[in-house]
Amino acid sequence: MNTLERHRKLSAIWASERGLKGWFSTVNHTDLGRMFLVTAFFFFLVGGILAMLIRAQLATPHSAFAGPDIYNQIFTMHGTIMMFLFAIPTFEGLAVYLLPKLLGTRDLAFPRLTAYGYWCYVFGGTMLLVSMLFGIAPDGGWFMYPPLTGAIHSPGINTDFWLIGITFVEISAIAAAVEITVSILKFRAPGMSLDKMPIFAWYALVTALMILTGFPPLILGSVLLELERAFGLPFFQADLGGDSLLWQHLFWLFGHPEVYIIFLPAAGIISTILPVMCRTSLLGYGWIVAATLGLAFLSFGLWVHHMFTTGIPHMGLAFFSAASTLVAVPTSVQIFAWIGTIWKGRPELHLPMLHILGFFLTFVIGGLTGVMVAVVPFDWQAHDTAFITAHLHYVLFGGFVFPVFAGIYYWLPHFTGRKRFFRLGEVAFALIFIGFHITFLAMHWVGLLGQRRRISTYQPEDGWTMINLISSIGGFILAIGIAIVLVEIILHAMTANRGKRNPWKAGTLEWAMVTPPPAYNFASLPHVTSREPLADDPGLPARLARGDGYLADPPTEGSRRETLTVDISTGRPDYHVAYPGNSRLPIILAAVTGLFFLSLLLKTYWVTPLAVTGVAILGWLWVWSRGHKKDMPPQPIGRGIKLANSSTVDRSPGWWGSAFLLTADATFFGSLLFGFAFLWTVAPGWPPPALFEPSALEFATGLAGMGISAISIRRAIGANRVGDKPGAWLVMALAGTGLVAVICITLMLRAPAPPGHAYGATLLVLGGYGLFHAALATMMILFLMARVRGKFAMTACRAEFSVVKLWVDYAAVTGVLILMAAHLPGALG
Amino acid sequence: MKDLLRILIAPLIWFVAFSSIYGLHGLICGHGLQAIQIGSLSLPRPLLVAAYLLAIGVQMVVLGALYSAQFRSRSGFVRFVSRATGWTGLVATIWSLLPAATTSYCV
Repeated sequence: MNTLERHRKLSAIWASERGLKGWFSTVNHTDLGRMFLVTAFFFFLVGGILAMLIRAQLATPHSAFAGPDIYNQIFTMHGTIMMFLFAIPTFEGLAVYLLPKLLGTRDLAFPRLTAYGYWCYVFGGTMLLVSMLFGIAPDGGWFMYPPLTGAIHSPGINTDFWLIGITFVEISAIAAAVEITVSILKFRAPGMSLDKMPIFAWYALVTALMILTGFPPLILGSVLLELERAFGLPFFQADLGGDSLLWQHLFWLFGHPEVYIIFLPAAGIISTILPVMCRTSLLGYGWIVAATLGLAFLSFGLWVHHMFTTGIPHMGLAFFSAASTLVAVPTSVQIFAWIGTIWKGRPELHLPMLHILGFFLTFVIGGLTGVMVAVVPFDWQAHDTAFITAHLHYVLFGGFVFPVFAGIYYWLPHFTGRKRFFRLGEVAFALIFIGFHITFLAMHWVGLLGQRRRISTYQPEDGWTMINLISSIGGFILAIGIAIVLVEIILHAMTANRGKRNPWKAGTLEWAMVTPPPAYNFASLPHVTSREPLADDPGLPARLARGDGYLADPPTEGSRRETLTVDISTGRPDYHVAYPGNSRLPIILAAVTGLFFLSLLLKTYWVTPLAVTGVAILGWLWVWSRGHKKDMPPQPIGRGIKLANSSTVDRSPGWWGSAFLLTADATFFGSLLFGFAFLWTVAPGWPPPALFEPSALEFATGLAGMGISAISIRRAIGANRVGDKPGAWLVMALAGTGLVAVICITLMLRAPAPPGHAYGATLLVLGGYGLFHAALATMMILFLMARVRGKFAMTACRAEFSVVKLWVDYAAVTGVLILMAAHLPGALG
Repeated sequence: MKDLLRILIAPLIWFVAFSSIYGLHGLICGHGLQAIQIGSLSLPRPLLVAAYLLAIGVQMVVLGALYSAQFRSRSGFVRFVSRATGWTGLVATIWSLLPAATTSYCV
């Protein structure tokens, strides 16, 4: 097969549908990555316009065009959009677009999940935008502190839009995080061991793991606050055993790692681009990987530094102050590694490099003011002033927006296949850099003079007028700069001339393909022997196009999309994967998921069970379509190697995906237990007036159910493996999960007066959590039974059994903990 | 997977120790344990210091394991990164939990 024939065949297999309908059915990572980025940039512009409104309002004491009610909505939506609808989705978009190309493979691990995540993001973001158009947008600040946001003080629908809309959007983040984690660990080119991974993949891996463990506390907080608002369960009401500080803990358990979730991908962009701009290799690759991991972990020990003024004892303050100063060390390791890279190279001042230099100056200033506010006495002075707003913009704009602009200009020739023609970017950079520093240096100053954040106006005699005017002028200069970037990108994408391949002479694999990239990325997959394969072997693209790599021959029958996975550590080929094709299932599932959230928002609760049923049916169809009625023999991948298909292995992509999804789930559950312990220890009104009445029968029945389900699913797997019928064992497992469900329902029914005290409310949620997982495990076992009944080739195709076992075990373990949390306090008196 | 565990184990232990000692501090102050005396010493200080030393001890054992022939990775890169994160875990434990031994509690 010649190169052109291979290209045509692979394009026919991998391409999205033509025209508008292709937008709704594509599962291709290149298309979805672009869609993510364009949508995120749209939200960036909306958030930017809101920022301009804020600066217009504060420019003089007399320029108030919005009353406090509308102004509250403006600054809340500005923060919310920039954090949740711009920064995180930009990382997702960039990772979705780039990772398979950097890793030398054809797509991400779960293409339909990518599409589902994208549509959840679009629908959830639209929900928030609609609220703004109707003047009922969230108005409690982007961190939504109760009691201000409780039903008593914020009775309207505004807060519900935030709680429900953001939770909906976070499905997208969790989906992307699972996707990215599994893809980086398993979906790489053969030979790409951990030490040969491109540095951006390390950053993306760490960021994805942080999303999996950082977002669940906020999802939990949102669920609890919405339950309080909708059904009067008093988790945050001090007079009924709740505590508003619980929200702050849950929010900042998410909120501080979030800062690093935003920064780390940007640092990944810097570490990728900087060596190319300096014509050298990255200094201290191993040190940077270690520093990134250290930074990620330390960021989870900083959350209380946002709560220094809440009256926490000195020792608690000291723990978090110490951890907050420590985090400067791994950050500095990276900064010094970058400086070293510049030192040993020959820097060329291309446009991406200008943005990198802008990043350096801005981010270092933001880091230094960060160390200032990590010191408790200073924080007490600066807390809730414009100084903090200025600090966070230095960190987030400096640490994210400059690197992202560097990335956009660096990969623009890759996205479009064109070369820069309109040299507007340099002017735009100057305006952005100058405008930014005028705006936020002034804001530091006015903050130190005592201007509180979030005020809608101020008095002339406060003495802040001139500084605010300067800050607003800076803001508008910045906005003009960003508008010029937008104009240049649009002109570039539509009119510029075709560019040459690899214009920067980079060494990473994303440039080993024609640009814009074909739907299949690589005509054949490379065998990687170094971190910069293209630098070592400039002839690699031509050889891959000729079919010298793996999986060079498209399947002779059908239109199966295929790739291969590798061993995590060594990069040795592991198993073969066949992907699903284009499908509208992701957008439909996202729409039905949206219906679920909308029913909660509009309090049309009769729709909720219909939506849940719809999600369950579509979820079933999603997995069912992946079954085989005939065995999948080992598949040839080229170079004389045959690999087992993923449906025949225990650790399939589905198993890995489930394992990481359960990591997020376990964090959610752990946060719930933390909340329970926190309320019991710290909140007023504890111990509760009445404890849950323990029952030995219920406890024993629950334990028996969990034991039966866990043992039976193992016996079912054993029977299936040796060719026996697993049906009887599956029925037993079903009975076990059924028992667990019954015990959880009993717990929910017997929880003492949930609206009367946070204790009963927490038990109700714990019971609901157990019931949900028991129901999920039950559905999965029923699915296996349907597979067996449908005569799918189960003996060889054992991957689904392993996945179900994971979920059954999880339901059992969390079930035991729920039973203990409910029954033990009463039993111990 | 074992290599990932080698890389992540020390920071994970730091996080568990950090959360546990912060939780212990909460329990001490929330349940009035500071009033309990052991001889001339009030109970919380020895409890907090013991937890602090235990956390340091566990980190040192882990670091030792990462250097030992039995547990170290075969990959030179993983050996380097896991030892670096091992040192990160130890230093983070010593520094961030130092207040357990030095500052006042429940004030």
